[in-house]
Amino acid sequence: MKDVETRPKKGEWIIVLTILFASLPLILGFALLIISSFSRDMVTDLSLDSFRPTIENWINVFQGRLAITGGIRQNILKITLNTLVVALGVSGIVTLISTLAGYSLSRMKFRGRKLMMLLLLMLHAFPGVALIVGVYLLYRLTFPQEPSFVRLYSFFYVILARAALEIPMSVWLMKGFFDTIPWEFEWSGIIDGASRIRVWRQIMLPLIKPGILAVALFGFLAGWQDLIYVRTFLIDQTLATFIEANIEAEYSHMPLIAAAGTLYLLPTIMFFLTAQQLLLQGYSGGIKG
Amino acid sequence: MVKITLDGITKKFGNFTALDNITLEIEDKEFMALLGPSGSGKSTLLYTIAGIYKPTSGRIYFDEKDVTEVPPKDRNVGLVFQNWALYPHMRVFKNIAFPLELKKAPREEIEKKVKEVAKMLHIDHLLDRYPWQLSGGQQQRVAIARALVKEPDVLLLDEPLSNLDALLRLEVRAELKRLQKELGITAVYVTHDQAEALAMADRIAIIREGKILQVGEPDEVYYKPMYKFVAGFLGSPPMNFVEAEVEGEVLKIYQSRIPVPGQYKDIVKKLNITEVLFGFRPHDAEIVREEREGIKGEVYSFEPLGREQIVTVAVDTDVFVKVFAPEGEHFRFGEKVTVVPNEERIVLFDKKTEKALEYL
Repeated sequence: MKDVETRPKKGEWIIVLTILFASLPLILGFALLIISSFSRDMVTDLSLDSFRPTIENWINVFQGRLAITGGIRQNILKITLNTLVVALGVSGIVTLISTLAGYSLSRMKFRGRKLMMLLLLMLHAFPGVALIVGVYLLYRLTFPQEPSFVRLYSFFYVILARAALEIPMSVWLMKGFFDTIPWEFEWSGIIDGASRIRVWRQIMLPLIKPGILAVALFGFLAGWQDLIYVRTFLIDQTLATFIEANIEAEYSHMPLIAAAGTLYLLPTIMFFLTAQQLLLQGYSGGIKG
Repeated sequence: MVKITLDGITKKFGNFTALDNITLEIEDKEFMALLGPSGSGKSTLLYTIAGIYKPTSGRIYFDEKDVTEVPPKDRNVGLVFQNWALYPHMRVFKNIAFPLELKKAPREEIEKKVKEVAKMLHIDHLLDRYPWQLSGGQQQRVAIARALVKEPDVLLLDEPLSNLDALLRLEVRAELKRLQKELGITAVYVTHDQAEALAMADRIAIIREGKILQVGEPDEVYYKPMYKFVAGFLGSPPMNFVEAEVEGEVLKIYQSRIPVPGQYKDIVKKLNITEVLFGFRPHDAEIVREEREGIKGEVYSFEPLGREQIVTVAVDTDVFVKVFAPEGEHFRFGEKVTVVPNEERIVLFDKKTEKALEYL
């Protein structure tokens, strides 16, 4: 006999079944992609005839061979590294700015605070694609003359631009996390002689660790997945643009692209497997219930 | 170890006046309780002393020094919060050491002082734990230790016992009082629990709606309340009030008549007052069945409490008084009785201003 509140509701299985059915096309799509990456030919239907297992695709991917015949090679490790640089860059900037801005929006009184929060919400609703003309103009205007800076600059710019898209939402999220922390923690620190910035770093940040992790992860995924901004501004390739560029190339071997696609999906899958616990995790104790 | 002087403190939050021209002196080494219902401004006053809130007007002095503009960290106060505000990501040792680390005290000194204060509060075996691994009472001790470790001049406590269960509260109450006297530290204690204030404080300031109604020693505010509110806030159950009319030297209380108490005869005559509130404490009256001068009524209910019982007597429709009676005395519902208050302990209030007549 289970407790009332944990007892499964009657007919719950109907809901579960409906959800499962509705998401079937998606699950099937991902499943076929992953299966294909281990197959000689693309697996496009549910018959197992086309599935001839091999790990050759993965070996080829990591050797950077784009076609079975071998001619064209690309350094996929370097591309993955590029992706990682963009993702970590976006994540880092988003986390830093949103924890600072979220704190001040939650805790400090200043002129234009309400307006700023309103604008942040509006900005969040604004699609990144719609901004791209203006963002491109800025890119051209600030483009360095010195050729040796160009690649570095393109990284710098894409990270900044992509982070800017993420920041409004992240700032709101962080403000929400800071709002849940009672003032007493901060007052206690201030009375004990800590400065505001020290309170922020040594008391507040540890208390909202789950929020910071969430924002950092969202930022990471945004950078990792982004296609449009990377395609427009980055001179080098990331996994997203690499797949996009090769998916319709004549020489490309589709199961190989499937392997690259799976690699590209990996962080997202991992994130959704772990995120739930992460977001629910919070501190208890030291403060009354 | 300072004397705190509050001189005309007013604090406004927007249009709301939280503190209204508060003037109060708290002596060196004194244990002062700020007592009031929730929303009365008592915590605001405490935070103003700490420097978290800046008064809208008025000055605060520690001894002779004006600290109104001094930031909290330079006031050398220790504050224990209602929710204790222990840092959950730090172990107990680090929690207590935090104020000293901020002062950049040398490591050996920190270690020595933390151990000292932990020993004094009997938490020296818990230093390696995290706050959430402690019981409520232990967490509370850690919070006090953190406030005391920097050897503050003033200890400020914001309802520190309200999160403890009833039995533990009684125990900590006695201990805290003892600790304050041993350390000889000036303490300001905010509470809404009248029993706590009476039990611990040297003096009590009763606050309502941002104003101090009365300041005095526990005995004084208990037996010589200045306002009906003070009398009705202290004691459990609080003081009884019944409306009375003055007819010469006699008070008419519904169907009963009793003489004006001796201590009030001159005052009533001088003020020429006709309508008063008749107040007496449940312990300062007895219930008799024979014909005596007193307030007549019938037994509405009775609640045995072990050593004694509380009898509720209906004086009129919807007018009740509560009186303690010895155990073993048996009452029946609806029984006709007379409540005879102890004359010396009767307090008369002006019906309009609700102020005790002797303070008018």
